[in-house]
Amino acid sequence: MKLLHHRRVIVNKDMLVIGGGIAGIQSSLDLAEMGFKVYLVERLPSIGGKMAQLDKTFPTNDCAI
Amino acid sequence: MLDVGRHPKIELMAYSEVESVEGSAGCFTARVRKKARYVDASKCTGCGACAEMCPTDVVDLYNEGHSLRKAVYSWFAQGIPSTHAIDTRYCRVFQGKKCGICQKKCEAGAIDFEQKDELVDVAVGAVIAANGYTVFDPGKIPEYRYNELANVITSMEFERFLSASGPTHGHIHRPSDILVKKEIGQLEKQEKRAVKGLARFEEKHGKPSADFYNEYKTGEAAEDEALEQWAKKYEEYLPIKERLEKLRTTAESFRTAKKLAFIQCVGSRDLRFYPFCSGFCCMHSIKEAIIAHEHDNDTTSVIFGMDIRAVGKGFDEYRVRGGNNSNIHYRRSRVAEIVKGDNDNPVLVYEDTREQVVKREEFDLVVLATACQPADGMQELADILGIDINRYGFFKTLPENPLDTTREGVFVCGCAHSPMDIPESVAQASSAAARAVQTVTHANLLKVS
Repeated sequence: MKLLHHRRVIVNKDMLVIGGGIAGIQSSLDLAEMGFKVYLVERLPSIGGKMAQLDKTFPTNDCAI
Repeated sequence: MLDVGRHPKIELMAYSEVESVEGSAGCFTARVRKKARYVDASKCTGCGACAEMCPTDVVDLYNEGHSLRKAVYSWFAQGIPSTHAIDTRYCRVFQGKKCGICQKKCEAGAIDFEQKDELVDVAVGAVIAANGYTVFDPGKIPEYRYNELANVITSMEFERFLSASGPTHGHIHRPSDILVKKEIGQLEKQEKRAVKGLARFEEKHGKPSADFYNEYKTGEAAEDEALEQWAKKYEEYLPIKERLEKLRTTAESFRTAKKLAFIQCVGSRDLRFYPFCSGFCCMHSIKEAIIAHEHDNDTTSVIFGMDIRAVGKGFDEYRVRGGNNSNIHYRRSRVAEIVKGDNDNPVLVYEDTREQVVKREEFDLVVLATACQPADGMQELADILGIDINRYGFFKTLPENPLDTTREGVFVCGCAHSPMDIPESVAQASSAAARAVQTVTHANLLKVS
């Protein structure tokens, strides 16, 4: 029986987030705040997604944008 | 959104798509296609001078098709990044016509018709898929007549109507009334042109067209080619005038929609389409009814649903508050059919399950709470990422790690995972971020042997 050895691999610490809606934005901000470089890819010309189309959000009736 | 735009650690690649993701967890290489905007992002200040002068009108999908934008546009006013883009499907230059007005108007010199798509390879350790959802097309449900009745709209359309930046600046005009007003505008243009043509003859002969036409009809006028042309022009003008007068009288009685109906579970909890509950629509409808009541205190709303699912912190109180303060009535029922009533008002046929009688009720406007369905192109993205989708079309996740997909290092959050509301999306997004960090941290690497 042979002992398995730990091997170090070069790991890239950059992150890719696909989609610039509320979920993508929140993920990107969290990762960036933790010090990781984030590539945020959005299909449309601007980020915001469905939430940017909303006027207000429940249950506080705050502005969505 | 603003924070994303200016965060030094975030490279925003808007108007881009991921084409391939190779490698394994910790060392992926993703190829991203940065689509040509034909506007130089380093020069564009987002002032909008190009869009002001663009001659081409395009249906604005941000406003759910209820307004027009230009072929050179920003997705919405406060969009990040504010760089404009040219829609090549409509732009005159890309249709082989002469134009280029935007190029002349742009003071920054940012318009570049020669721009090409750019392929960028990025090396990343983990991938988070947060590509969201698509609103269900209610046209698939024949009994609700979404495509036939103008005053049956989706909740997203209604949201745009409520918004101050929307097509009606926050006033809830009925879509059928907007169509009539649009027709009046077109007819007025035609009338102006016709009157101008008639004025030439009137000046020449010194009498009004109506008098002349009477003479012409009774045969008193001399037979003349020019006069015949005059008569012909007048005959063309008459139906325009008649239609315009008729529409103007109808338009006088127009008022904003005051009696609203909200129909829940349109496409969701429906075995023909999606068997699951979309989660946020009940609260969304209550919110829209409350906001509509805030805009105009005479508004009454009826929410038709099998049950109101107000699950979440403060949600049920919100529902009760809506009923007490905002003229909202909750009716337990599933609407069977929407038919056309007088004055373009939709009439709902439904069974009141408490009284067990079939009722008909007329409303000014019907709002359909459409289902949250998997985003368009979900299968394509799954193929690119090398992950599976579940039987409904959302990304497949592991039961023990709900944000992990079937490929290590690829995570999912938000409505790409399953239907959910904003707070839940935010919570899940933070969670997915934490999972992504775990993938690339030191401790995990030692496991690789």
